Amino acid sequence: MTKAPGKVNTYRPSVGHTIWQNRTLILMCLPAIAFFFVFAYMPMPGAYIAFTNFQYNKGIFASPFVGLKNFQFLFISGQLGLLLKNTVLYNIAFIVLGNVVQLAFAILLNEVTHKAYKKSAQSIMFLPYFISDVLVSLLVYNLLNYDFGFISHLVRSLGGEMPKVYQNANAWPFIIVAVNLWKSTGYGTVVYFAAITGMDSSMMEAAQIDGANAWQRIRYITLPTLKPTVIILFLFAIGGILKGNFGLFYNLVGNNSMLFKTTDIIETYVYRSMMNSFNFSQSSAVGLFQSVVGFFIVLGANAFVKHLDPDYALF
Amino acid sequence: MKKLLAVLLAAMMLMSIVPAVAEIDTSEHVKIVYLVTGDKPTNRTDEVLAKINELLTEKINAELEFRWIEWTDWQTQYNLALATQSGDIDLIGTATDWLDAWPNSQKGAFLALSEDMLKTYAPKTWETVSEAHWNLCKYNGEIYLMPEDNYAQWTNHGFMYRGDWARAAGLENGVHSWADLAVYFQYVKDNMPDVIPWDANGNGSSYSPQMAGGWQTSHTGNIAIEGFPVSIFYGESKDNPYTLSRYYVEGDELVNFAKEMKRWADAGFWRADVLNYTGDVAGEMEEGKTAAHQHHTQTWTGERTTMERKQPGSDLGFFYFGEETGNLISLNITHGAMAVAAQSKHPERALMVYDLMRNDPEIYHLMQYGFEGEMYTVEDGKFSRPEGFEDSKDGVSFNFWWGRNDDLEYKNAQLDWDAIDALYAEYDKVKIDYPYGQYIYDNSTVGVFMDNLSNVYNTYMPRIVFGMNDDPEALVKEFRQALQDAGIEMVMSEIQSQLDAVYKK
Repeated sequence: MTKAPGKVNTYRPSVGHTIWQNRTLILMCLPAIAFFFVFAYMPMPGAYIAFTNFQYNKGIFASPFVGLKNFQFLFISGQLGLLLKNTVLYNIAFIVLGNVVQLAFAILLNEVTHKAYKKSAQSIMFLPYFISDVLVSLLVYNLLNYDFGFISHLVRSLGGEMPKVYQNANAWPFIIVAVNLWKSTGYGTVVYFAAITGMDSSMMEAAQIDGANAWQRIRYITLPTLKPTVIILFLFAIGGILKGNFGLFYNLVGNNSMLFKTTDIIETYVYRSMMNSFNFSQSSAVGLFQSVVGFFIVLGANAFVKHLDPDYALF
Repeated sequence: MKKLLAVLLAAMMLMSIVPAVAEIDTSEHVKIVYLVTGDKPTNRTDEVLAKINELLTEKINAELEFRWIEWTDWQTQYNLALATQSGDIDLIGTATDWLDAWPNSQKGAFLALSEDMLKTYAPKTWETVSEAHWNLCKYNGEIYLMPEDNYAQWTNHGFMYRGDWARAAGLENGVHSWADLAVYFQYVKDNMPDVIPWDANGNGSSYSPQMAGGWQTSHTGNIAIEGFPVSIFYGESKDNPYTLSRYYVEGDELVNFAKEMKRWADAGFWRADVLNYTGDVAGEMEEGKTAAHQHHTQTWTGERTTMERKQPGSDLGFFYFGEETGNLISLNITHGAMAVAAQSKHPERALMVYDLMRNDPEIYHLMQYGFEGEMYTVEDGKFSRPEGFEDSKDGVSFNFWWGRNDDLEYKNAQLDWDAIDALYAEYDKVKIDYPYGQYIYDNSTVGVFMDNLSNVYNTYMPRIVFGMNDDPEALVKEFRQALQDAGIEMVMSEIQSQLDAVYKK
């Protein structure tokens, strides 16, 4: 084959060659690939359970096929609207507020020059991420409960009257969002912080020489550089927009139905309906529904991003 | 001629037993895994198990191994273990009222046990369980469960209260009604500032069926039907048991309950945030910080002794739900039962092991009490533990609640048998047999609606039970409307026709 003169080199190496050339990178990816293969792809055929009347002695694939019967449950409950609303609104609050706060903290941390302070601040922020939801719920209860709570005591000793938080549904969106922020900020900050650290420092130096102040550096250099990271994290998060954090909601609210109006999400509803019947097919149907909707939302969001700026799209 | 025939018959009967036993091939040593609910013991269970395994190896060339379903999240873990079995479990402790034995039979978790199998491999059990009792263990004509039908116990719910405080409250004979209970709680509230009358841990919904059902049992003749994922299906009365009660859909009694509980909540009988409180009520009672504990008779028998030690003179009494109306149902024989796992690789040997666990005196006593002499002594058919004995350290825990046997059982000498026998005698005067033993709920037609009813119940009932509302009457009305919207009438008529199919032939 002769190359036409003046044309761009269109030589493409063979697949084997590409693999060989990137062998170290691929080797490093291997654990992650294995992880997703084992825990995400291999179980996928099992989603078939959502369409069966699962019999233990027959196994998933030999159980009788029942079509969409298992999906009926969510739709005839009459609660789907409320559940969707709560689940989606909480997730939007978590995603938007979470990212804004994490971004802010990462930038602030970056501006801190005292090394020991920076390290310890980061560690302390990270800690809540490791506290289990069960303990968090106990902490919250011991702060807020009416009879013996810490805050109730404080308010009373100052001569005030403590509202009954555990009987007031309107207070809970704020409490849950606050708890979620408290738990996740440290973790998310690290991601942004890493992105900032990876920035080309010559740009900063150039800006400094040109006389840009701290605010201008953040506004015109740090933030634009972080844009791809923000978009990627956003795209990752939005796929789970129909999935609630069961541990957090269930532990904080439990079976306190006075709060359900503002705190009931798909997961807690499914749990409450099926905790006595152990219907694996039906609960899988709900999970499948959430995943499929999430999948299309990711596709949609990605297409939207691609439309705006193809460089930032995931695929 | 007649004599000859009799001899021949006897010989034939003997022949039919002897070869059956001789045929069993136990040349291969097998391990039988026993699935049981409970926390992995920290006491001498392993030592005792080693001894039992020696005996089992000698007798039938098998050994026993535990698979514990720890109490944390036990319902989910238990059902998951059954659903994902792959020959890794052989014997399964189960129950029709608290461990979903029937739904699990329907889902194919258990092996159907043929009469031949039982006769051959569990002959002692086969003999001692009556035909009527075997019939109560059948689903679609097949036996799935081996019932604990020779063990006297009571697990009817009620309230434990302190006799000393009840007398101080002017209740000379103790608490015997919901009205007495209110008087008792009010006395505690007024006179003991550091004691919460009933410091209920209302997080989780386990009190809903007990409290709502308790009031119902005490104020109507209704009888609870077991085996539903939501506790709103009751029979009308002992004279008319096979007609469903409409208690939850209409009538005043539920409203009265809601109003009274609202009054109790306002009076401060439990903490204001009861629905999110997770405490150890029994522990608090033992420390004198709460005046009552809601659980069942069997718990009370042990708790009475514990309380006497920790709060001397407390004279712990028990008010049982249904006491006012004499509405008391004997325990269903399948409150505890053993099943064989559907995927078990050695179902025959599993049955043989169970037969010995249940009927062999040496193995039974090891399992229930440990090493005689060292861990317990027997006198007058009652067993005592040595001085300083602590169950969590020195005891043995097989949690064998699936075939206890009164023929081999020793009474615990440390319990207060005068008080216990007095209560049991009272029970015996009013009790009736569980009327629905033959009925197994079939979930296939209305299951979807049942899940929604379950959600409605779990949403409203905790608020009714703990008076967390401004207007109890309106809340009950709302609850009933939600039940209607979720299809209660359709579900009830389906259950009624299922009941009719069994009992109105």
